[in-house]
Amino acid sequence: MRTALEPTPIPGAFALNLRATWARMYVRVVGSLREPAWIMSDAVFPAFSMASFVLLYRALGAPASFEALAVLGGILSTYWINVLWGMGAQLYWEKQSGQLQLYFVAPCSRLAILTGMAVGGVFMTTTRAVISIAVGFGLLGVHVQAFDALQLLLVFIVTMAALYALGMTLASLFLLYGREAWHVCNALMEPVFFLSGLYFPIRALGAFGAVAAGLVPLGLGVDAMRQVLLGPAAQGLLPIATEVAILAGLAVVFFFLARAALEFLESLSKREGRLTQRWQ
Amino acid sequence: MSTPGTTTLRRFRTAAWLGWQIEANWVDPFTFVVYSVLRPLATALILAVMYSAVAGVATSAHAFIGFYVANAFHEYVTRILVGMGWVVVEEREEYETLKYIYASPVGIFIYLWGRSTVKFAQATLSMVLILAMGWVVMGLRWDWGMVRWVPLVLSFALGLVAVVYFGFLVAGWALVLPRAAISVNEGVAVGLYLLCGVIFPIDLLPRALQALALALPFTWWYEALRRFMLGRGASAALGRFSDLQLVLALALSTVLLSCISVWGYHALERRARRQGKLDQATLF
Repeated sequence: MRTALEPTPIPGAFALNLRATWARMYVRVVGSLREPAWIMSDAVFPAFSMASFVLLYRALGAPASFEALAVLGGILSTYWINVLWGMGAQLYWEKQSGQLQLYFVAPCSRLAILTGMAVGGVFMTTTRAVISIAVGFGLLGVHVQAFDALQLLLVFIVTMAALYALGMTLASLFLLYGREAWHVCNALMEPVFFLSGLYFPIRALGAFGAVAAGLVPLGLGVDAMRQVLLGPAAQGLLPIATEVAILAGLAVVFFFLARAALEFLESLSKREGRLTQRWQ
Repeated sequence: MSTPGTTTLRRFRTAAWLGWQIEANWVDPFTFVVYSVLRPLATALILAVMYSAVAGVATSAHAFIGFYVANAFHEYVTRILVGMGWVVVEEREEYETLKYIYASPVGIFIYLWGRSTVKFAQATLSMVLILAMGWVVMGLRWDWGMVRWVPLVLSFALGLVAVVYFGFLVAGWALVLPRAAISVNEGVAVGLYLLCGVIFPIDLLPRALQALALALPFTWWYEALRRFMLGRGASAALGRFSDLQLVLALALSTVLLSCISVWGYHALERRARRQGKLDQATLF
């Protein structure tokens, strides 16, 4: 047994980063459960938007498959909101609360911290998305036919990997930002919902939609998940296997992009003295 | 010597000028405008593509223009009402200046009202652009000869009064909430989007929610705007009311909501003072 005076053994790089990931994930998961008003707003309000769009389809007399399509889009919108505000803008929050410098004196990799943030974010958002699922498929009475749950899970995991890797890239870019971070995040909400076809088949955007889907993984992810749930009624853009392969590719690209961007922008913001600059 | 009226006007103008500086001084005016209209235009585009995706197969596609128009006017709710809640969050959490506002002679209602003028300008620009995009790009046309200007302008003005006064209540609520006020503010606008039948008739809501919707002036507002601008409303339940009854219901619910909001703000402010939350920063 180790005495109090014995030094703590220094873990290897892998173990250290794993612990950093776990620690950041823990904060996100446990911290998110401590504020009831925050839970309510994260969980309930996105369901309101989704319900409005479902009822618009109902008011227009659209086929029922469109309602299911909007429900799935509404559920996935919560993940994009988390990617933007919980990943992209996170380092801006940390800067404002005076904690960003602690990230940079820690011995672990910044990417390990961002990974913990991402995994915690997916977990936290999934617990919130339960409300949207209940409102969509329960309260609003939207139905889907029997589907392959394993395939859905696989598509979901790959989509989340691509989406949160993009979030890590955004977090790196936002290192330089001051108040612009707010406005950029705001500007990336509804425009991305539109470009990703969250509430309509992405095919309805034509060639423009195909280009947009190649840039933001949300569109391909929602399209693939709709195809699993609704089959041909989803009016899919590409075969599921192709979309999953592209999403996996995007996940890898965004991860390495995040790493490169983080290194470059960290050094740039240190040189310009903006790393710890608050209220700019 | 200044009269109370000119003093109020001067305070209002100062708050409006400050609001403009805080909102817009992070970037040049053109970029500011671009950022301001991106979100509302994207929402309008979402609605338009939803409509075009089902136009060939939907049974009641003709009703869409009424929803589109109401969505354009909902910008005032989103901007002004949410914006007033944001003023409290910004002043208390970010700039830590809320205590100085209270210590100054400006008066909190005049201050909030003044700060919301920039939001009014943004909302007006967004509303005009959304309607113009619908008219020019999507071919969503209405007959100008059918527009009844007097009740339309009257309804519009009443709705704005309701928005500003409900904004006071949202601001009061933000006083007693911790940092979660950020998303609760946004949630109020989204809740009203659903509850007041902006993009669908309230007839589709469950009965209990319909009753709640009828108590809110915004439900009557959207229906009045549709009826006096396009010549027809969207809801069968509200269609039973004559034009006069519709405007009276809007006026009555606006007065009631305004009284509740002023009373509610003061009650929430007292609560915030007692609990020491008036200047308690929890965000940064």
